[in-house]
Amino acid sequence: MASIEIANARKSYGAVDVLHGIDLDISDGEFIVLVGPSGCGKSTLLRMIAGLEDITSGDISIAGNVVNDLQPKDRDIAMVFQSYALYPHMSVAENMSYALTLRKTAKEKIADAITNVADILGLSALLERRPKALSGGQRQRVAMGRAIVRKPQAFLFDEPLSNLDARLREQMRTEIRKLHRRLGATSVYVTHDQIEAMTMADRIVAMHDGIIQQVGSPVEIYDHPANIFVASFIGSPAMNFLEGTYETKDDNGADGAGIRLSDGSLVAVLPARGATNNQAVTLGARPEHITIAPDANSGLAARIDLIEPMGLSTLVHATLAGKPIKIFTMDRPDYAVDSTIHVSFDMEKVHVFDTKSELRLPPVIEPHPGHRD
Amino acid sequence: MTLATQTGKLPVERRGVFSKKLSGILEPYLYVSPALVLIIAVMLMPLILGLSYAFRDIRILNPFSGGFVGMAHFQTLMSDQAFLGALANTAWWTFGSLVFQFGLGLILALLLNRAFLGRGLIQALVFLPWAVPTFLSGLNWAWMFNPVVGPLPHWMTSLGLMAEPYNILSDPDLAMWGPIIANIWFGIPFFAITMLAALQSIPKELYEAASIDGATTRQQFISITLPFLAPTIAITLMLRTIWIANFADLIVVMTKGGPADSTQIVASYIFTQAFRRLDFGYASAIAAVLLVLLLAYALSVIALRRAMTHSDN
Repeated sequence: MASIEIANARKSYGAVDVLHGIDLDISDGEFIVLVGPSGCGKSTLLRMIAGLEDITSGDISIAGNVVNDLQPKDRDIAMVFQSYALYPHMSVAENMSYALTLRKTAKEKIADAITNVADILGLSALLERRPKALSGGQRQRVAMGRAIVRKPQAFLFDEPLSNLDARLREQMRTEIRKLHRRLGATSVYVTHDQIEAMTMADRIVAMHDGIIQQVGSPVEIYDHPANIFVASFIGSPAMNFLEGTYETKDDNGADGAGIRLSDGSLVAVLPARGATNNQAVTLGARPEHITIAPDANSGLAARIDLIEPMGLSTLVHATLAGKPIKIFTMDRPDYAVDSTIHVSFDMEKVHVFDTKSELRLPPVIEPHPGHRD
Repeated sequence: MTLATQTGKLPVERRGVFSKKLSGILEPYLYVSPALVLIIAVMLMPLILGLSYAFRDIRILNPFSGGFVGMAHFQTLMSDQAFLGALANTAWWTFGSLVFQFGLGLILALLLNRAFLGRGLIQALVFLPWAVPTFLSGLNWAWMFNPVVGPLPHWMTSLGLMAEPYNILSDPDLAMWGPIIANIWFGIPFFAITMLAALQSIPKELYEAASIDGATTRQQFISITLPFLAPTIAITLMLRTIWIANFADLIVVMTKGGPADSTQIVASYIFTQAFRRLDFGYASAIAAVLLVLLLAYALSVIALRRAMTHSDN
C-alpha cells in the first residue's frame, strides 16, 4: 500500500489544455473519488496515474517515488476498466492469473492466490468459464479479482459500475466499499455519479474543466460546497438556485441580512462574509431546506407545477419568483397542480453565492456545527 | 391418427386438420421459391451443364463431336503428365503466393494500425494494386522481368543475385517465381485491409489492461492480437487458397504456362485446353477434378474450424 502525490500535474493535447495544474495528496489506504461531469479531466488524471497517458508537466509520485517516466507495469498499480477489459480468450482463472504468470510466479502460489480471491469475490464456481458466459456483475467481479490478485500498491477504478443496472450498481458499491475496508488499499475511483461519490468516498475530489473545485469528505462537500458548480453537482435532487441582490437591512429597516428576489420578496439569510449591500448574489437552497408553510400567513408564495411521490418522501415542483424550485418533504401533500402554497427557507442552512465569481460566501458566524446535518 | 389407421379412412374433421398441416408445411417453401428458382437458374444449371461436358466429346474444330464418352476424359487425365505436373505446380503457386501475401499483408496491417502522419493517404494507396486490372499488372510485371525493357534483372545483377541480366520467365527452374512475385504484389492489399479491419475491432482497453498487467508488446501480440485475428485469418486464408488456385490470369499473361509447362497450373491448363486446343470436353473434365479437390479442401477447413470453435467453448 502506498500514498500518491500529484504536484502541479498538467495535460495538454496540442493546444488544448485538459488539466490545468492538479495538486492532490492521497494518503495510504485512502479511498478517493474523483467526480465531475464528462470531459472534466477526471479519467485523464486517473490514466496519468496509471501511466496510460503522458504527463505534460508536473510530477506524480507513488510511495514517494516519481513515476512520470515509468511504464504502467513498473508502477505496481492495478486498474479496473469501465468495459472490464477482460481477455475474452482466457478463462476467469487465466484472466486473474495473467499478471502473475507474466511475472513467473510459482504455479502453486498462483493457484493459492486465485482460490483465495475467488473465495472473497464468490467466483469459485466460475473459474473455468470464459468472460462471455458471465453476467455483467460477474464480469465486474472478475475485473476486480484480476486487480486484487496482484496485491498492488494502489487500485485505480475508471467508472467501473457504469455498465451495470441500478440494483446491481448499488450492490457492487457496497461490495467495493467492504472490500476496501478488508484490504485497506489506496484507491482512486473515477465516477460521474455523485451518489457513488457520496456513498463510497473517504474524500471526494470534485472536478470541472480540468480544475479541482473542492476536496473534502462527502458531508463537508454536501454541507459546505465551495462554489455553485460543486453545490449543483453534488446532491440529488439538485440544489435550487435563485438569483437576487444582497441586502443588509430587512423590510422594517432593522439590521440583518437578506436576499431580494426578482419578484421583490426577501429571503432572510445569515450575514455572509464579504457580501456588500446590493451585491448580485445567488441563493442556494437544497430541496430539504425549504418547508411548506401550513397557512398563507407566512412565507413566500409559490405555484405548484408537479407532485412527484417517491414512496419514502415526496418531491414538490413549484415556481417561485419565476424560477422552478424543488421541495423535499416527508409529508404526503395533496396539492392540486397550479394551486398556491407558501414556502419558507431554513435560514441557517441556505447558502449565499457571489453570482459573478460563483464562490460561496460563508456566514460570518458559522451556525452551531451540531446543528447541521 | 390411431382411429384413422384403424378404419382406413380419415374422419371428415381429421382430414381438415391434415390438409391444414400440409399447407403449413408447404407454405414456407412457397415464400422462398422465387429465391430458389433464381439460385437454380443462375448457379446450379451452369454448374450441371459444365459438369455434363466433362462426360462428352466436345471439340470446336470437329463438327461431328458432341457424343457421350463416359469416363474416357478422366482416364486420359490419370496418365496425362502435363496435368499431373500442373497439379504439383498449383500447390507451389498457391502456397508460395499465399504465405508471402499473408505474412507481408499482416505486417503491413500492423504498421498501418499505428497512428502516424498521412496514415489515411497511405491506407488508400495500399489498396491500389488491388484496383489495377490483373491483365495489366501481369503485362507490367512481365516487362519488369524483361532485361530489354525492365529494370529488375539489372538490379538483381548489381546486387550479385544474377551473373548477368536475363529473363527469369524464360528459365524453367525460376519462371514460376515471376507470376508468384506479381501475385504477392497483387494480393497483399487484400490481407492488409482485412487484417487491418480486424485489428481495429480489438478494444484498446485490452492492451491497456495487459500493459498494466506487465505484458510486453510481444506478449500482448500473442495473448490478445492473435486470438482476436484467428477467425479472420482462418476464413481469409481459406478463401484466398481457393481464389489463388483458380487464378490463372497472371500466369496466362506472363508465361502462358511455359517455358515447357514449367508454370502450368491446373487453372491455366484448363484455359490452354479449352481456348488453345479448343477441346472443351477435356477442359471440363479437368475443371471437374479441380472443383472436387477444392471442395474437399474447403470441407476439411470448415471441419477443422468447427472442431476448433467447439473446443473453444
